[in-house]
Amino acid sequence: MTFWSRLRSWWNATLRRSRMESEMDGELRFHIEAYADDLARSGVSREEAMRRARIDFGGIERVKEEGREARGAKIIETLLQDLRYGARVLRKSPGFTIVAVLTLSLGIGANTAIFSLVDGILLRPLPFAAPQSLVSITGTFPKGGFVAMREQVQSLDTAAYFEGHEFNLTGRGDPLRLSGVLVSAEFFSVLGARPELGRAFYPGEDTAGSDNYVILSHSLWEQRFGADPSILGHSIELEGVSREVVGVMPAEFTFPSAKTEVWLPLDNDPRDTVAYWGGDFMPIIGRLRPGSAISRARAEIRMFQSRVPKLFPWPMPADWNADISVVELRNGMVADVRSRLFLLLGAVGLILLIACVNVANLALSRAATREKEIAIRTAMGAERGRVVRQLLTESVLLALLGGLLGIFLATQGLHLLKAALPADTPRLADTHIDWRVLAFTGGLAVLTGLLFGLAPALYSSRAALSQSLNAATRGAGVSVSHRLRSALAIAEVAFAVLLVIAAGLLIRSFVALSHVDPGFRAERVLTARVTPNQEFCSDPSRCISFYRELLGRLQAVPAVHAVAVVNTLPLGGRVAKRSLEIENEAVPPGEAMPLFWMDVVTPDYLRVMKIPVVAGRGFTSADDSGNARVALVTASTARRFWPGRSPIGTHVRLSGDTDWRTVVGIVSDVRAYDLQKNIPDWINGTIYFPYAANATLEGGRIPSDMTVVIQSSLEESQLQSVLRRTVAGLNPEVPASEVKPMRAVVSESVSTPASTTVLFVAFAALALVLGLIGIYGVLSYLVSKRTREIGIRLALGAQRRDVLWLVMKEGAKFSLFGISLGLASALGITRLLASELYGVSPADPATFLAAAVLMASVTLLACYIPTRRAMRVDPILALRHQ
Amino acid sequence: MDKQLDLLQGTLDMLILKAVSLGPLHGYGILLRIQQISKDRLEIQQGSLYPALYRLEHQGWIASEWGESENKRKAKYYTLTGAGKRRLQAETDNWNSMADVIAGILGTKPEEV
Repeated sequence: MTFWSRLRSWWNATLRRSRMESEMDGELRFHIEAYADDLARSGVSREEAMRRARIDFGGIERVKEEGREARGAKIIETLLQDLRYGARVLRKSPGFTIVAVLTLSLGIGANTAIFSLVDGILLRPLPFAAPQSLVSITGTFPKGGFVAMREQVQSLDTAAYFEGHEFNLTGRGDPLRLSGVLVSAEFFSVLGARPELGRAFYPGEDTAGSDNYVILSHSLWEQRFGADPSILGHSIELEGVSREVVGVMPAEFTFPSAKTEVWLPLDNDPRDTVAYWGGDFMPIIGRLRPGSAISRARAEIRMFQSRVPKLFPWPMPADWNADISVVELRNGMVADVRSRLFLLLGAVGLILLIACVNVANLALSRAATREKEIAIRTAMGAERGRVVRQLLTESVLLALLGGLLGIFLATQGLHLLKAALPADTPRLADTHIDWRVLAFTGGLAVLTGLLFGLAPALYSSRAALSQSLNAATRGAGVSVSHRLRSALAIAEVAFAVLLVIAAGLLIRSFVALSHVDPGFRAERVLTARVTPNQEFCSDPSRCISFYRELLGRLQAVPAVHAVAVVNTLPLGGRVAKRSLEIENEAVPPGEAMPLFWMDVVTPDYLRVMKIPVVAGRGFTSADDSGNARVALVTASTARRFWPGRSPIGTHVRLSGDTDWRTVVGIVSDVRAYDLQKNIPDWINGTIYFPYAANATLEGGRIPSDMTVVIQSSLEESQLQSVLRRTVAGLNPEVPASEVKPMRAVVSESVSTPASTTVLFVAFAALALVLGLIGIYGVLSYLVSKRTREIGIRLALGAQRRDVLWLVMKEGAKFSLFGISLGLASALGITRLLASELYGVSPADPATFLAAAVLMASVTLLACYIPTRRAMRVDPILALRHQ
Repeated sequence: MDKQLDLLQGTLDMLILKAVSLGPLHGYGILLRIQQISKDRLEIQQGSLYPALYRLEHQGWIASEWGESENKRKAKYYTLTGAGKRRLQAETDNWNSMADVIAGILGTKPEEV
């Protein structure tokens, strides 16, 4: 009963406040009036009676306050009061509030967005069964190496996969180019993934001859096959080969990447020595068998690596897989992205630090100006705890506002981030803002609130008691917190310098990348992959005449200047390599033949791409006509393999060929692999062959997935439709995919550095703005505190420029210390960026200098308004001011 | 009657419970009744009455209801609850035994020790 009455009374007191208040008012009014009536009855005038009644009653407000307390309205009441008061205080200083909330929301928003990425890509467990026992082996193996590993290794169940194969899907509407992955039979069972429909591959289905199966991705099944379950057991035509559909994977299964559309079994065949030991070098994943630790697996894999080169039919380089290890799959999958994400996380961490420092500084400055208010409240009996709680409530209120706005900014920011990051970033599709991220942000907001709230709260409540009521000692309060504030401002400048330097280095690197001469001209060139089935191209002459016919028809289109095909488009992300034998260059025993990047082209290729011939001649239509045995080399290849002499007239041949080819010309280098390197480090040179039956790939086939390049003055979209029409008209079974201008190919190749740079520039700009606000805050506080001193100085004859110096000195101090600190720490920290940089050293003096100058100008700018205000101080007003 | 006594700490609650136990009263009425019973020998701060009333109501010892006063004004009337009755009994017993003990101590003569 008492419990219920208390609850009711508390309920009424807290949630039906206005009713409680009006009842209390009515009751007290009744008391006073009744008392006054009695007094009036004893002969006092009505007016006098009311007056005496009020006096005898005592302080009404105090009674009400005690009454509220008695009703238990107090706990919530205090909080509400604090909140109301806090809100009022914040509303009354909108400048402070807006700056603080914006500062925090930017910090929290940027952090939430980046944390969402880190969470989605790095932290969240892989969507597979028992992901903790999944591992990745850092090294790649051909089929033969993998099969040996599968048979010999005891601590792991292993599976191999190879991305980057493409398959024409024909026989069902428009031909489609599918992105596929070749997998060993155990691939799905190792991952612990089950198809949503049908079955996974059975052991043994990755053997040549019994490999005619395929598993579809959910999206392909939906889009191409109308989500029809009866597709199971039916065959589809991939590259002209029928394969039975045995399963469909669920939508959430996106391994090894989200763009995978079909999974096909490997076709292991030990009799095909070249493909078995020299074909695709595949990454290997594994699942630890029960009871075996990752360390044991690591030791066993290293043992295996020491044995496996002897199994190869040819000598393997000593450094092949030399640093092989076993890592958690989650880490192995995102290895490339990992470092970049941590960089971003570090950068936004700095932003949040700056934001916190900034708000702390603002709050500290403001707390000092509120000394008097707090002193009055303390003098009137407010407990210290109560004052601290009040100030903390304000801080948390600010942080929560900032957090809310921050979450909003984060959702927007994450959209931008996902758009800015390269689409092939692993697990990018998995990232979204979820409750964990919200918890992180919420925690961050509250922590930040406490962090920047506590110091000023404790400081001002302590300072309040002793000093502030006494105006004469008013200046003394400044020095205590002044040191803290200066330290904060200096830290802020240092953090900002660090970010500006990082951004500067990335900009310089990006500019260097954009100014790289790729060796070709991308303007007005349209590219498209036109890819007949391998089956179709098993007859080389059929394939070659298909392309010849296609080029002829395209050439006939008005406004098309030149057309050609090439097997590996520069910067297109594909590599074609062959071992090459050079006449009179004996390969030392035990060493492999040099590996060449092999460009197979039609004669007009150099003309379309405007790749200059340095010496000798390019290909002519005469070379195109049959099995002309000619070749071109690039300038750097000529220097490397024919040092001091001309390669023209010398002979080379593909490993395994009997006929020699004559080098007829030298062309200038092209950035074929990426904008930073012509070719990957593990390839030694570049050679061009005319597209003919003897220009074979490693498997002995001729390239059948050529890219058409068209130089034309036609409108892009027009040209695209002309191209598609022409291909379809020539052979309706052949898909034209990746139709895009060469410019797009180039810019896609730098999308990763571009996105990193953009993000860092945004962070640095944020840091600069926050730093500017921070220094401005500290200085203007300083000026307002020292108005009296400045007035006295001026009255005593100080010049305006002395005042200027007085303020600038402080600004210069922050600037100098902060910049030095920032530069020093940058020297150590920018090394982390080294892998992201091209053509600029992590300790680039120009960037460091520019960052220092930029930061100095920003601090100068921050000084401007406070300094001007100080110089305009009127001595008379200032002296009267206190 | 001649001299007013200050209220002993903590006794106001007891007096209010007692006053209300004699019949429903509004705040001013409680004040008057205590003064009347004590023959104006107790000085009660008018303002301090209300926080005490609210505290007692919060504890569930008295209940309140709006009604009409003698001179046709709206007034809030307090009544004793069951719990309040028990409380008053306990307080009274406690007070009486305390008063006995203290009276005994104060009444002690030297030869009795």
